[in-house]
Amino acid sequence: MPEKTVVRPVRIAVVGHTNTGKTSLMRTLTRDTGFGEVSSRPSTTRHVEGARLIADGEVLVELFDTPGMEDPMALLEELESIRPEGVDRLDGPARVERFLNAPAARARFEQEAKVLRQLRASDAGLYVIDVRDPVLAKHRDELEVLGDCAVPLLPVLNFVRAPQTNESRWREALSRLGLHAIVRFDTVAPERDGERWLYEKLATLLDAWRPSLEKLLACRAREADARHRAAVLLVAELLIDVAAYRVRVMATGAGAVEAKVIELNTRVREREQHCVDALLELYRFRSTDVDADQLPLANGEWQEDLFNPESLRQLGIRFGTGAAAGAAAGAGVDLMVGGLTFGTATAIGALAGGGWQAVRQFGDRVLGSVTGQRQLAVDDGILRFLAVRQLHLLCALETRGHGAISPIHGLVDQVRQWREGALPAPLRKARAHREWSGVDGKAADGLERNRALEQLAELLATDAEAIRRAETR
Amino acid sequence: MFPDWRARWLAETLRLHEADEGRQDDARAVAVARTHPGDAEARICVRAREMASTGTWASAVDAAGVRARFAMGVLLVVGLVLGFGSAMAVLGDGGRPVNVVWALGGLLGVHMISLAVWGAGLLIRPTETGSVFGRAWLWLAERMSARGPQVHAWHALFSLHRGQALLRWWLGGVAHALWLALLCGAVIGLLVAFSLRGYGFVWETTILPAAVFEAWVGALGALPALVGVPIPDGEVVRASGGVALVDAEARRAWSAWLLGCVVAYGVLPRALLAVWCFTLLRSGRRRIRLDQGQPGYASLLERLTPASERIGVTDVAPETIATAHLGGLASLAAGAPVLVGVELNGEAPAEGQARAMEWPPTVPDEVHFAGALDTREQRRLFLAALSRAQPVRLLVACDPRLSPDRGTLSLIADLSRHAGECRVWLVAAATATDTERLGYWRDGLRELGLPPGAVFESMPEALEWLAGTPAEGRRHA
Repeated sequence: MPEKTVVRPVRIAVVGHTNTGKTSLMRTLTRDTGFGEVSSRPSTTRHVEGARLIADGEVLVELFDTPGMEDPMALLEELESIRPEGVDRLDGPARVERFLNAPAARARFEQEAKVLRQLRASDAGLYVIDVRDPVLAKHRDELEVLGDCAVPLLPVLNFVRAPQTNESRWREALSRLGLHAIVRFDTVAPERDGERWLYEKLATLLDAWRPSLEKLLACRAREADARHRAAVLLVAELLIDVAAYRVRVMATGAGAVEAKVIELNTRVREREQHCVDALLELYRFRSTDVDADQLPLANGEWQEDLFNPESLRQLGIRFGTGAAAGAAAGAGVDLMVGGLTFGTATAIGALAGGGWQAVRQFGDRVLGSVTGQRQLAVDDGILRFLAVRQLHLLCALETRGHGAISPIHGLVDQVRQWREGALPAPLRKARAHREWSGVDGKAADGLERNRALEQLAELLATDAEAIRRAETR
Repeated sequence: MFPDWRARWLAETLRLHEADEGRQDDARAVAVARTHPGDAEARICVRAREMASTGTWASAVDAAGVRARFAMGVLLVVGLVLGFGSAMAVLGDGGRPVNVVWALGGLLGVHMISLAVWGAGLLIRPTETGSVFGRAWLWLAERMSARGPQVHAWHALFSLHRGQALLRWWLGGVAHALWLALLCGAVIGLLVAFSLRGYGFVWETTILPAAVFEAWVGALGALPALVGVPIPDGEVVRASGGVALVDAEARRAWSAWLLGCVVAYGVLPRALLAVWCFTLLRSGRRRIRLDQGQPGYASLLERLTPASERIGVTDVAPETIATAHLGGLASLAAGAPVLVGVELNGEAPAEGQARAMEWPPTVPDEVHFAGALDTREQRRLFLAALSRAQPVRLLVACDPRLSPDRGTLSLIADLSRHAGECRVWLVAAATATDTERLGYWRDGLRELGLPPGAVFESMPEALEWLAGTPAEGRRHA
């Protein structure tokens, strides 16, 4: 008969030297941005605080945040000094138990005692390392003390994305101490598969809880997939909406047309903003988040640039009709320098210059000449730009806006199909279906529109994947 | 078992409703859903169920169901009537004999063609939804629905079925049912006409031999004959060429044959296919799952299935934390000044060059340079040496890029007890990019008892103090 599976959640203590990012790791793994207190100040956390990780309504893991170890050398000395009479040799756990019952554990080593007590009560420990730090004797002593708890330890290399690290030295030191299962995990900007690697490594150390950890992983992966699909669908819907959008205008009097152009521009901008808001909500970005300013949208200027010829020119996108060169003269727009901000320069004449070219006379010229009506639609170039821009934002969001995403110009090679050739088929189809556009209120939701949406979403997902691959290379 | 497909239908309707009308007030529903033990999908359904109990849109789902059945009923009745009419039209008023070939073609021809098209569609484009009748029903049902919630209910039904490629079984089943009504109407029409009118039956040809018709009638009649339907024998068939027989037996045989063919090749296959489609639909509906990748659901997941819950503090922070304090021998010390580094061995590549210029430093002759301390053994030996030497001044060099911790600070305190005066030099502090950590060092050292003036951040100042030469004098020398 197979052994009965463990039902109790696996208990894991997050331990490490002071100020290495233990609470940050907790926050990332629990998806709870308000957990504990995080600061760059050492010994911020002085208590033990726990959180349960839940998948599909089931508690699978209990994580405990512990205070940082601060004085491991003296602690090791203290432990080594424990030599009770009549006992030949104490093993690690026995030594730790004796220490925890001794008065020192409540005085000088109170913080360290909390760590050891929690680790003793856990099934495994995540040992968080700031790889920017050199490997020092105190760290080795610390690992020796933690090793005495006789609980499997998984070193977690934090801040691996810093420009200069001691990662190789740490790896060497850890393997000398017998810790060969190591995981790289930047707690603030984890790699896409970082969490999966972490739990998989953990599962190799905790065979009895492998099913739990795998269940957790599967659930998290499912959630990530759902979120990604939702994001891509949001972008696809934006593009369909804008592509199908048309405004009727009487061709008499330039003033009326101009007013319509402005109206159209505004509507499209609003529609894009709506999509951006939805994406932010989806990825749980709040403007109060510390990393919000890492996103490629600083403020209102993100909007201003949509109809700016210069923005398009920089991406190598051309307007469907008319070259953008003329209008670009006055608009020296500094587009997303370093992927962080949008337009430090003002978008001079973006509307007067770019707006005119950004929309083109569309559709039924015969009818127009009879009725005096014309239809304005959004230019292909704007659609392309929208697509690239939203893809860029999406990729930035998936990495929580950190580091690795290059500025939008860097995407040029990955989004070639958005720059050249014909628009994707679903968008071309949308051009002919005015009723598909949700820019002015509700779109007619139908089979055909849905199919176009799905097709476009699939296309965008491929693009996003290409961008991600290029970024991680 | 919850959630069944109706619960999912409700949830999908709500999603479309919210996509149009904006997120509804769901605080209570979410709270209830979060207590449900199921997975994310079940909770989405619970939320929808809870919100349905308060919102008016929920009745739309029931209404849509009612209207769907009503539309179906209307079409079935229309089908029956049309079928009846077509039978009448095909047979005529009895004044002229019925051409059996044309009659059968008229009754079953279109049906056979549409069946072939449907079957071909099944093979060629297995995921596409065909069937004109099915679409007609959808169109009608949708037109009969009030705008707003009911349309959402319809679209919800649609998107759920599309996800599992069930639309074809659904629409196919409807189409077969309508054809069934049409053909049943035709059968009724035939029965009525045969009961109340006298018909003669003929076949006509210009070039074909009689044997062809004999074989044809026999072949078609074989299937109905299996259940005992009489078929015209060869004699009768041959005799019916061109002129209708007046023999009542022959007429009965012809009418039975015609009816049998319509039932066997019309009613029966449509009935079987309708049952087949609806069976597949029924079993398929059990596989229907909500597409959690839809933005409307994905943005709900965070609230419905939080990734974690807090346990709270399980071991409270101590009220006070013991901190070390600087001590000193003051005037008793007389040994040569000593410079020692703490945790300066490990070479971090970051800012390494700038630091390499300052550490290890070249010290004046009168200063004893003790190197850098890292291991416990080094510390122990140095402390012993220090207690013997008792230097007048001790300069402890630290790396400000590391986090100051209690261990390091208490080491500085321990060292200070064996010297006349102890100060700290933060090596290459000027080039440190992490100014925050520099601040924490200053704070930590202040708590230790070192005033800001006793913490050096530049090498010349630190070494001048250590050597004991007044700054002015050295500069001139």
